Amino acid sequence: MSQAIKPASGRAPTPLASLMPDAAKIHRLSALLTLLLLIAGFALASQAFFSVNNALTVLLQTSVIGLLGIGMTLVIITGGIDLSVGSVLALSGVGTAMAVKAGVPVGLAMALGVAIGAACGAVNGLVVTRAKIPPFVATLGMMLMARGLALQLTGAAPISQLGEAFGRLGNGALFRMVEMQPNGFPKVIFPGIPYPAILLAVVAVGAAYLLRRRQIGRHIYATGSNEEAARLSGVRVDQTKLYAYVMSGALAGLAGNVLMSRLVTAQPSEGVMYELDAIAAAVIGGASLSGGVGTVSGTMIGAFIIGILRNGLNMAGVSAFIQQIVIGAVVIGAVWIDQMRNRR
Amino acid sequence: MSQTPLVEMIGIEKHFGGVRAVDHVSLDLYPGEVVGVLGHNGAGKSCLMRILAGAMIPNAGEIRVNGKAVAFADPNDARAAGIETIYQTLALADHLDAPSNLFLGRELKTWFGNLDDARMLEESRKVLARLNPNFKNLSDPVSSLSGGQRQVIAIARAIYFDTKVLIMDEPTAALGPSETAMVADLIRQLQAEGIGILLVSHDMHDVFDLCNRVVVMNKGRLVGAHGIEEVSKDDVLSLIVKGELPADWSARNLEAAQ
Ligand SMILES: Nc1ncnc2c1ncn2[C@@H]1O[C@H](COP(=O)(O)OP(=O)(O)OP(=O)(O)O)[C@@H](O)[C@H]1O
Ligand SMILES: [Mg+2]
Repeated sequence: MSQAIKPASGRAPTPLASLMPDAAKIHRLSALLTLLLLIAGFALASQAFFSVNNALTVLLQTSVIGLLGIGMTLVIITGGIDLSVGSVLALSGVGTAMAVKAGVPVGLAMALGVAIGAACGAVNGLVVTRAKIPPFVATLGMMLMARGLALQLTGAAPISQLGEAFGRLGNGALFRMVEMQPNGFPKVIFPGIPYPAILLAVVAVGAAYLLRRRQIGRHIYATGSNEEAARLSGVRVDQTKLYAYVMSGALAGLAGNVLMSRLVTAQPSEGVMYELDAIAAAVIGGASLSGGVGTVSGTMIGAFIIGILRNGLNMAGVSAFIQQIVIGAVVIGAVWIDQMRNRR
Repeated sequence: MSQTPLVEMIGIEKHFGGVRAVDHVSLDLYPGEVVGVLGHNGAGKSCLMRILAGAMIPNAGEIRVNGKAVAFADPNDARAAGIETIYQTLALADHLDAPSNLFLGRELKTWFGNLDDARMLEESRKVLARLNPNFKNLSDPVSSLSGGQRQVIAIARAIYFDTKVLIMDEPTAALGPSETAMVADLIRQLQAEGIGILLVSHDMHDVFDLCNRVVVMNKGRLVGAHGIEEVSKDDVLSLIVKGELPADWSARNLEAAQ
């Protein structure tokens, strides 16, 4: 059993229905519980994990997965998949950096990076809807092309010395309070809320609004739920899909800016396999790969589960290889739960 | 009748590879008329209906609405011309609830362009009550509803909007007796309002009860179009099965006319 998309609030459902949380809510609740258990477990295992500074690190790391995951969620709800986001992230970051190097102001250059991502998404969407190539193949092709282009443009070398302004988005924070001490060294009173975290929150709220309250959101669900029915009902199915891929590409571009800005270096080889983290975040959060199901809040929980797993395992000194094994198992577990709830 | 027909389909053809699903079919429909469309499975009824609904593009032929030639590129065009369709497949999005399905593609919005779910729920409640006063599961995904409840949603969706022509492709296949009676009442009501109805059905009783005319398809071709008083159930059965009227039909009819 799956969920009705609309929020139950503001309506008068039958009393019984309002008492019984549906399966999708249970899925999200169990994901949230997993997240809390993870935090508690890692906090017990390592003192350093449960600190303000580490929380900020997790926020930063998760913001990239989260941005990619939100775009991925839109695409997955339409019944598609976007394997190109990791490569598009790199291409967009490289594009921004090259523009900065060419003297374009940072803000404009970053907008260009997002536009490059959106353009890649548009190509994905057109290949899927016009050429009728299955999304898996279409975006796999884009994954190779965008990566190849990023490497070709840079000669596979990182672009560095991008200036202080370029690094602000990834390293800056709101409400950061620093006090000059008498000995001349600054003392951080409050580290502030990192810009990437704020960006993620804004994008998440925007995407959730789009999915729940706007017509395009309803059409995204309808398209993934039953494409033919949506078409017969007058939904412009192709435009709806195109919209989702463009959003996914644009958010990959935004994530590219955040990531490269944090490193203050544009790495054409950055973001390899990030698409898998993004898919994992969406699926852990309850999105169904067969379409029609998924929420932004679920994906956010999924992104944080992955972010915290990575971070906590790091802090506990677990090797990167073991981390892969653990995250792989978590993804399979989440999909398995999803299958169980659909099998009724 | 001297009025202009609501719709005319002239020489419609649709092929799938070698299969002639619709083979040079012409059909018209006048205001306040219920035309039964009959034929065995695979005769081409749904294809013909889908073509009029804008869901299928014909290979040849012309469609006129109120005397004017039209070309439907997609179902929106047909809906804009006042042609509403209850598809045989129902065409519902399983994960969405009844109001979302009812208003799919034509969502009600607030001044700000947000979805007006409260109003859509209210309107759905009203129109569904016309067909089934006990319809309660308005916020469940339609996948969890019964076949009959789903069919009621599909019917409600077709009558809610400003309908001039209603295409009903086996609208009562999944309905219980009381709902079927409600649909029959509804058809009479819509007919009285001057709406033209194409009713695809295998139920001879319903057809003879409700229709002014019957047309019969056989292997993609239109093999008969008769006023309901001209033919008996056996005559229609013969058209469906053999593609022709019984040999004694014209003699019988002449007799009756005298
Ligand atoms: N999309 C399609 N592609 C290929 N062939 C099709 C398609 N749609 C219909 N056909 C063929 O066209 C013919 C007519 O089908 P149609 O659905 O119109 O029959 P029908 O009269 O509605 O039958 P039923 O009573 O079973 O609903 C069938 O032979 C069918 O196989
Ligand atoms: Mg049919």
